[in-house]
Amino acid sequence: MLGGRGPLAPGATDSVSRWLPAWVVAAGLLYGAVMGAYSLRPLQMLYSSLKVPMLIAVSGLICLPSLIVLNTVLGLREDLGAVLRGAALAQGTVCVSLAALAPITVVAYLSLDVYAQAVLFNGAVFLVAALAGQVTLSRHYRPLIAANPRHRIARDAWLALYLFVAIQMGWVLRPFVGDPDQPTRFFRVGAWSNAYVEIAELVWSVVRR
Amino acid sequence: MRRALMRIDTLLRGGFTEREVLREGRVAVAVPDLSVAAVPLGVAYGLFMGLYAVLRGGPGSGLQLLATALKVPFLFLLTLLVTLPSLYVLSALARSRLSFTHTVRLLLAAVTVNLALLASLGPVTAFFTLSTESYPFMILLNVAFFAISGLVGLGFLRKALDIVFEPEPAGGKPAGDNVAAAALRGASQPDPAGRVFGAWTLTYAVVGAQMGWILRPFIGAPSEPFQWFRERQSNFFVVVWESFLRLF
Repeated sequence: MLGGRGPLAPGATDSVSRWLPAWVVAAGLLYGAVMGAYSLRPLQMLYSSLKVPMLIAVSGLICLPSLIVLNTVLGLREDLGAVLRGAALAQGTVCVSLAALAPITVVAYLSLDVYAQAVLFNGAVFLVAALAGQVTLSRHYRPLIAANPRHRIARDAWLALYLFVAIQMGWVLRPFVGDPDQPTRFFRVGAWSNAYVEIAELVWSVVRR
Repeated sequence: MRRALMRIDTLLRGGFTEREVLREGRVAVAVPDLSVAAVPLGVAYGLFMGLYAVLRGGPGSGLQLLATALKVPFLFLLTLLVTLPSLYVLSALARSRLSFTHTVRLLLAAVTVNLALLASLGPVTAFFTLSTESYPFMILLNVAFFAISGLVGLGFLRKALDIVFEPEPAGGKPAGDNVAAAALRGASQPDPAGRVFGAWTLTYAVVGAQMGWILRPFIGAPSEPFQWFRERQSNFFVVVWESFLRLF
């Protein structure tokens, strides 16, 4: 999957539906558990291990109908199998990359004694994993775009929508790291708020100073 | 239901607006068939949109859900009905190949494509409804989704109009050769497809936006009691701007 070779190469037709969900869940569980280990609270580790695969999988599922309709309207329906396969393998790459970065996260936690720094570090880890996912996605899309440039439009639109949903999903599902000064909860109090409104208010408060 | 879904799929794939059929001045799907496809799609998105009122609770929240589910397809179809005479006259003046019936079919097909993408964004709307209480944000999100879906519907329409207004092949040039057709038209000749498309878009968009304002509320402001329709005041464009400012 990471190398894009063999039965998981772009253009191959091996089904990923049987084993990929298990990989996504397992890798997500592993990294989530590490993520929640900052304060060494087992309950937070359990919550975070559930949240990481939820974040990735549920965001993908919410955007799935639009992906299908947009590809159909753009005349790319015959490639839908390859598109879905590429998207699923990209998400798998994200999870595997997160799991691979788990040991480094453990070392980072041993070195960081400020909660905000731990949150930022995990943000950076997610960014690296997302970039790795992009490599897989681009690899699978390259032959599709070469055959029909409209695939670029469909890919970019889906990525924008996925990012839009995933950011809000991450906001709703917090905390992932677990603030040592707050009790352990699955959802933070006031979790059901809007990340974009919060960001807009923050930017506006900075601009108004 | 299965037949309606298959019809929607065929429409999205362009099965009813193939080049050869459009050049004959025909759209290969009947108005009742399109209506049977369009209405459920609009109702589906209306249910997602009306979920905000249900989750906020309060008297009339269930009625708001019902009202929104009815209003979304009604918005599109009523706007089409209002603008249809002028849209047909504009295209006929430009010497469209399509008769009145087939013009209706093409416009309704574009509306159905629009509603299909809108319905597909329904889960995203539902997710944000579940995770936010900000009424201005939900207004802007829905406006954005209506706009994005509208652009896709317009893309479908533009592609069809390019074929409808293709000049007849001359001098042995193959039919449907758009590069050759463009060269024949030349820089100095008008682009009837572009003109009709621009006029249709402007007419439908302005009427549609204001129709949406007239039919409000769709989401239901938390601070106001349920009403099927609000009193006449202000207009769509002013309110979108004010909602943007209220985010801060």
